[in-house]
Amino acid sequence: MTIIHDPLSEEAASRIVRAAVAAATPLEIRGGGTRTLWSGSTNRDILSSAALSGIVAYNPAEMTMTAKAGTPLGDISAALAERRQMLAFEPLDLRPALGTSGIPTIGGVFATNASGPRRYVAGAARDSLLGVRFVNGSGEIVKAGGRVMKNVTGLDLTKLLAGSRGALAFLTEVTFRLLPVPETSATIVVSGLNDAEAAAAMATAMSMSVEVSGAAHLPESVCGRFAGGRLPAGAATVLRLEGLAGSVSVRSEKLQAAMARFGAVSSLDVEATVQLWREIRDVHPYADGTARPLWRVSVAPTAGHQLVAALRLEAGIDAYYDWQGGLVWLRMEADPEADLLRRYVKALGGGHATLMRASAEAMAATPVLQPQAEAVAALSARIKDKFDPAGVFVGAFAGA
Amino acid sequence: MEQIGFLPPKPAVLSRRREIVGDLKDLLPEGCLVHEPRSLVPFETDAFVSYRRAPLAVALPETTAQVAAVLKYCHRYGIPVVPRGAGTSLSGGAIPQEDAVVLGLSKMTRILEVDYANRTATVQAGVTNLSISDAVSADGYFYAPDPSSQLACTIGGNIAMNSGGAHCLKYGVTTNNLLGVKMVLVDGTVIELGGKALDAPGLDLLGLVCGSEGQLGVVTEATVRLIAKPEGARPVLFGFDSSEEAGACVADIIGAGIIPVAIEFMDKPAIEICEAFAQAGYPMDVEALLIVEVEGSEAEMDGMLQSIVEIAGRHGVKVVKESQSATQAALIWRGRKSAFGATGRIADYICMDGTVPLSQLSNVLRGTAEIVARHGLRVANVFHAGDGNMHPLILFNANDPEDAARAEAAGNDILKLCVDAGGCLTGEHGVGIEKRELMRHQYTDADLAQQMAVRAAFDPQWILNPSKVFPLEGRPAV
Amino acid sequence: MQTNFTPEQLADPHVATSEKILRKCVHCGFCTATCPTYVTLGNELDSPRGRIYLIKDMLENGRPADEEVVTHIDRCLSCLACVTTCPSGVDYMHLVDHARMHIENTYRRPFKDRVTRNLLAAVLPYPRRFRLALRAAALGRPFAGLFRRVKGLAPFAAMLDLAPRQVPKSSGSRPGTHPSVGTRRGRVAILSGCAQPVLKPQINEATIRLLTRLGIEVVAPAAEVCCGALVHHMGREEQALESARRNVDVWLREIDNGGLDAIIVTASGCGTTIKDYGFMLRLDPIYAEKAARVSALAKDVTEYLATLDLPEQEPKRLTVAYHSACSMQHGQKITTLPKTLLKNAGFTVRDPAEGHLCCGSAGTYNILQPEISATLKARKVKNLEATTPDVIATGNIGCITQIATGTTVPILHTVELLDWAYGGEKPAMLVS
Repeated sequence: MTIIHDPLSEEAASRIVRAAVAAATPLEIRGGGTRTLWSGSTNRDILSSAALSGIVAYNPAEMTMTAKAGTPLGDISAALAERRQMLAFEPLDLRPALGTSGIPTIGGVFATNASGPRRYVAGAARDSLLGVRFVNGSGEIVKAGGRVMKNVTGLDLTKLLAGSRGALAFLTEVTFRLLPVPETSATIVVSGLNDAEAAAAMATAMSMSVEVSGAAHLPESVCGRFAGGRLPAGAATVLRLEGLAGSVSVRSEKLQAAMARFGAVSSLDVEATVQLWREIRDVHPYADGTARPLWRVSVAPTAGHQLVAALRLEAGIDAYYDWQGGLVWLRMEADPEADLLRRYVKALGGGHATLMRASAEAMAATPVLQPQAEAVAALSARIKDKFDPAGVFVGAFAGA
Repeated sequence: MEQIGFLPPKPAVLSRRREIVGDLKDLLPEGCLVHEPRSLVPFETDAFVSYRRAPLAVALPETTAQVAAVLKYCHRYGIPVVPRGAGTSLSGGAIPQEDAVVLGLSKMTRILEVDYANRTATVQAGVTNLSISDAVSADGYFYAPDPSSQLACTIGGNIAMNSGGAHCLKYGVTTNNLLGVKMVLVDGTVIELGGKALDAPGLDLLGLVCGSEGQLGVVTEATVRLIAKPEGARPVLFGFDSSEEAGACVADIIGAGIIPVAIEFMDKPAIEICEAFAQAGYPMDVEALLIVEVEGSEAEMDGMLQSIVEIAGRHGVKVVKESQSATQAALIWRGRKSAFGATGRIADYICMDGTVPLSQLSNVLRGTAEIVARHGLRVANVFHAGDGNMHPLILFNANDPEDAARAEAAGNDILKLCVDAGGCLTGEHGVGIEKRELMRHQYTDADLAQQMAVRAAFDPQWILNPSKVFPLEGRPAV
Repeated sequence: MQTNFTPEQLADPHVATSEKILRKCVHCGFCTATCPTYVTLGNELDSPRGRIYLIKDMLENGRPADEEVVTHIDRCLSCLACVTTCPSGVDYMHLVDHARMHIENTYRRPFKDRVTRNLLAAVLPYPRRFRLALRAAALGRPFAGLFRRVKGLAPFAAMLDLAPRQVPKSSGSRPGTHPSVGTRRGRVAILSGCAQPVLKPQINEATIRLLTRLGIEVVAPAAEVCCGALVHHMGREEQALESARRNVDVWLREIDNGGLDAIIVTASGCGTTIKDYGFMLRLDPIYAEKAARVSALAKDVTEYLATLDLPEQEPKRLTVAYHSACSMQHGQKITTLPKTLLKNAGFTVRDPAEGHLCCGSAGTYNILQPEISATLKARKVKNLEATTPDVIATGNIGCITQIATGTTVPILHTVELLDWAYGGEKPAMLVS
């Protein structure tokens, strides 16, 4: 029977880990359980951060916050909203798309390095993470990093823990940097572009001095499902601008003028902008209540549309693009087609495809994470061993 | 006088010097190995000149394959390897030891690819930081991290130290702008991490390697993010009657949610030094100066400046001076970026790099002044105030051993103060040899043990830059 | 930087000076980035910081120079880009001068090396010998390829490559006084020079025409000798100081007979040295003060022209790539004046990329270090040609000779263009 441990303190977590090592009981680390990719053996106990909750320190003037790992993301967002601050990397809420429930936690956000549209210019979750406290697989309580923006004191274990998906250690506390919420935002929409034209338009927008903070392309097949139907008909290439109101309007004019040569240009107000980018972030069009395979593919921005074009000839797919075209959300009609997909990814200069959703059988039969080069995988396994020599933490990684 | 020890040289390596030199010669092209004792002396230190050890040999490979061959050889015989970029480290990160082969990347200086559509540049590790921006400037791009030594320091060195710079307040430090590396592991295996596709799942080895001070492997190529140049940029000088007021003003600017591109701080001694070198027109009748750079269109810059001027007004700002031309703006930055070197005109110095939370800036500035006075020395402060990254320059006379010892002691006290204020020992220069023994002040034994264990996953024999970063006592047995 | 000299060592004034210079270096490494040889070779030993360290080690230990040190000091172009870059104010020029002197005094060069150097020192500073040598070179040119392939003879191949196809007729700027046209506004001496009048007499001719038209009396004193730069850079200090003393005497005589507003130098390499006479002769009780006076009067021709308020001219449709000689920009810190003069004279002036890097000429460097020199020349020519100029202008004969062998773009001295713009004839090289 699976036991769920939810320790109230680091010390308690440490005792649980030591006991599990002694009893040779694997532990699966869990935050809110909203982003679980791993669906292996049920012969393990759960180590949950749910009871490690609460904001430890919020210093708006320094734009930093420290919170226990199990603090619900909602609590954090609410506290930040009061001071008009935010997490720069726009954490995703994948519950609708993955059909999961539960409460996303701040620890889970960092442990999965979950980053939304602004990632392309403001960095990923890992770039906002300043320091962590964790319990390693030997039950030792360890801290890494700190609470200042610049810190190169010793090895950057903070980066290593970000995105480690519970393979290395049990996060107990995270310290992260914040940004002020922009005074306003707007979206420039270029309509009717095909995927290749959109890639060129986005590259042009990103080369301009207008600080585009989101560049996505929504082909005709998905476009109508965004922003409550407020996008013009046809494919929409959308570019977000944020900042002081005066500045946004100046940049908006400049950008619209430059985009006019690509297609019909219109714009969305702040309210529609907020909704649109939340939906892009959360994979809204594929929150379809199905288990049709959903891939998150990261490639060089100019390769995204080439990948999709190539796949279209061989499989039934639907796709839209974020990160200037470098992040492709790909829904397959039937089979995950992992080999096909990964072969094209490799041929187009490399990248990685993560299977986010599929039927239980398909999930079990498919390597959900992109296989790593042998030397890199071996190195990762050695590192895992240095955090968790007994292999008590079972997680999403090979060797775990 | 040296207070920090090096690992004792391995007799088994020293006694094979001749053989090792012969073997390395076979692995490298003509002119790529320095081994005559007298020619090794110039490699005995970097920009942290208090410590010096001439190496056994200096290998200057021209290709990744040659780097791999040298590492493989050294790994096989347990010969320590000290990687070196341009040797501009202020923490002694590139200082060799007697039994070490220095692996210098100074011949690997090619820009391999510039990809504007994806906004990336791929370069060899020996390319200097500034030459990346120079190569793409005419096309409207730049590479953002700008350490003051950017003219000379290499991208490989920047990655090793996760270097920052004045403009990192807005654009982030090296780790935030690094997309991928090709690196050679200690046994000669070549791996690639990251690339133009972002955020690979799996452990973030790229993030770990950045800032690892040559302890995990040798980076030979890097892919970095290019950014479109802003429409305009304007540095503005704000003069104050006291360092504390200037420090408090910085905290208030950031606290108000205003993030300029850069907020740099200079106290009076630093202003005098920089003005003497650059003639940038810094105000001379103030105790402290902030250089605040804003960027964007004229209207955007005006808007942001207005808010900053208002805040500065609340702190009794005495002088507000906008740069009048591109030439003056360049001079303002030239003076700031040459501050350390220019200090050499008046004294020897050691440069600290502690970083503190912004709310502590004023306190730590005051504390620094007290510490330095207690040790009977002088200090000049010039640093990246916007992110709390302080650089007290402790002035001393290197030809007076007692003075040098006092300077080192004062430096240690200052760094401890930074840690106690909630900060860290080093914001962008790295631990190197300089701060190695202070690591215990910031980290517990368990914290350090975890870092050292990870290090050992890459280099179980501890031959990569082995005298650096981690206190000599308490290391895992090899 | 810490130094270790004994009080006895410091009793030597040369060592004392070098010690002061070394103390200023903080080993920051900025100088490496702008050093042509480091950029080319990628070895710190071939950078200013490496050389400073080699020199420091040699002097501290009171050692004679050895082959390693000599190799790396010899590779230094003395372009002084490092001095411009150095934030700490390290006087590398006088440090490397001291090192060269030390090498000359303590190191016996291999035979072939000695022959080459003796030959250069015996010929180049003497116009008559130089002219004869160039005529001989015309006969020797067919053997250049052969020399290049024989180790040790490369310098001779380089000499043959550099020698002009046609040796110009002897200079029109013979010793004597060239009176001003119209009212005399000033009186200057002009350095006749040694190699320049043989290679390009047009430069001083243009200078004299221009200055006299502008109301300046120009005197070219007899008995003047080579400024000493060539032998100075070979470490032959006594020979250099002897030249300096003779010239100081010559010019002081002119100052006493009619006064001088300036000593005009049209080769920036020479200018750097003459401006340094005060330092070179600082230990000579008889000449120290006199030499300082002479140094203070020495002016590059563009420096002097800038004081004459030349009127702005109509734009010419001619694009000039301005190549700043190292001795001009780093040695004398003259950076914008020549360009301003050219712009005012109606030319479109372009700056090449990497303008701080040496063209590889550097006195006798292109003869003694032909390989590095050729690499630097190619890099310089590429940058100059990238500006798509009609003509290249520069202020040093060495650069003119060097760059001319790498490009088909005509190259002139700045003053030749100015002479044309202010009433002189169009330079022959531009008449097609």
